Amino acid sequence: MSKEIKKWFSLNLGNKKQCACNDTKSNTTEDGFSQVFDISMNRRQAFKKITAGLLVGAGAVSTSCSVVSSGERKEKSQIEWEEYFKGNYKLMTDEEKQQTVDRLVRSYELRTGKKINISTKGAEKDVLFGYAFNISKCQGYMDCVNACVKENNQDRASEMQYIRIHEMNDGKGLNFGEADDTFYHEVPAAGHFYMGTQCFHCDNPPCIEVCPVQATWKEKDGIVVIDYDWCIGCRYCMAACPYDGRRFNWSTPQIPEQEVNKEQHYLGNRLRKKGVMEKCTFCVQRSREGKNPACVEACPTGSRIFGNLLDPTSEIRWVLANKKVFRLKEDLGTEPKFWYFMD
Amino acid sequence: MNVNYNIPVIFLILVLISCKGDHKKYHTVIDKIEAKTVPFQRDSTFSKNQFSISELITVTDANPHFYIKERKSNIKSFACSECHDRPVSQLQSHNPNTKKAHWDIKLNHADANTMSCLSCHIDNDMDNMHSITGTKIDFNKSYQICAQCHSKQAEDWKGGAHGKNISGWKTARVSKLCVECHNPHNPSFKTRWPARYNATMVDERTNQVKK
Repeated sequence: MSKEIKKWFSLNLGNKKQCACNDTKSNTTEDGFSQVFDISMNRRQAFKKITAGLLVGAGAVSTSCSVVSSGERKEKSQIEWEEYFKGNYKLMTDEEKQQTVDRLVRSYELRTGKKINISTKGAEKDVLFGYAFNISKCQGYMDCVNACVKENNQDRASEMQYIRIHEMNDGKGLNFGEADDTFYHEVPAAGHFYMGTQCFHCDNPPCIEVCPVQATWKEKDGIVVIDYDWCIGCRYCMAACPYDGRRFNWSTPQIPEQEVNKEQHYLGNRLRKKGVMEKCTFCVQRSREGKNPACVEACPTGSRIFGNLLDPTSEIRWVLANKKVFRLKEDLGTEPKFWYFMD
Repeated sequence: MNVNYNIPVIFLILVLISCKGDHKKYHTVIDKIEAKTVPFQRDSTFSKNQFSISELITVTDANPHFYIKERKSNIKSFACSECHDRPVSQLQSHNPNTKKAHWDIKLNHADANTMSCLSCHIDNDMDNMHSITGTKIDFNKSYQICAQCHSKQAEDWKGGAHGKNISGWKTARVSKLCVECHNPHNPSFKTRWPARYNATMVDERTNQVKK
């Protein structure tokens, strides 16, 4: 039954099979336009659809202007209305940023009765964040993943995780094809080593080039961020990333209310919605406050090193200067700011 | 002299205006780092919830220097001499009437040729430790004991590649001390179960294979 439903995105490439149904009309593939506009319907249906569409739009306006609906509901739809028409975060003035944050905070308060704190703190001068990962130290304990999920309010239902820990076989090199990133046995397992990947915050990120709406960009301190309210969910960036660094919300993220991290950043761990991209932001809500990302703090082995690349006294700079470092797929010219090294 | 300057001039203008965009100024990120590096002063004060300078020890033999947490106040029942009032040779008696201490400590650190209790502890001065050559080493500077054999790790630790920064990237570095991660009597990391298992990912992949 489900096969009969033609979706605009189903390309049917190489699928020349005749449809099982007897309807001869459905053999020709319709494009998105004809699917929407060439639907035969009678006058009554057409009027119904038009009215429904109008009602949705008018509903928001009428509720916000209504004299009868309760104050809270009015405020809620007022917020929704204003949020809907706000601009791209990159183009917002400080005042506009504060307004949208106030709206988001208020909207959460109306919904749950709890206060959250959303920061809009920008990049600091003379700061460029970098990360180093010691593959001889990582033991595959996965404490970083737990900390990351908790810190960044990731969807619990789909078990979204920014970090992947790959269990690699000794003697086979960095072979991601044969690596296991869903291991569950006592670690470290004999004959294996562990390697973590996440967003590498490339200095020349291919993901931001392909975004058709400029919803993702590189901040001055090197963090690649996403405006979740501007993202249209096309997933071009996901396809463009050579490192599997980006994640997509296929459903509305679900986080138990008591587990929501209330210290948030507009570009970081604030609550996302269905159909938008997200990824590691080096915990922008933490790093811009001078703290280390949650994964660095949680790692029990000290494999993870974070710091300011422009500070010659930082640990990350010491690693770059004194260790044999390498990055993944360096030949692509993406210039990741995430280095691996060994003891 | 009617030389046509048009073409050279247009060419020159093109050369001048077709400079690279601002965002592609550096060939690699390393070039960018080198060009933009500033002599940096990390904040010497710690934020409210963190450390007070009084409970920190400065590691001066590293450049730039950094801090470790004061150790003695964190050792349960320090000073050791409060119990160990006699030298080990006397305490060690196999007389069943003498009280046993540290019965749970079993040395699992290198082999017996290299390590015994007295490789680090002093027979008749329990409140201090000593190096291979007999120099007294304070418990607060216990990393100096470890650094005798693990000199490579010690160098990495001083630079910041080994160990762990616990103060954040912005303030002065406070590092974990060797013995905060490695039990000196049994220093290796132990195997254990991972903190989580991603059932959804496994499910998605196995289902995909079935199709």
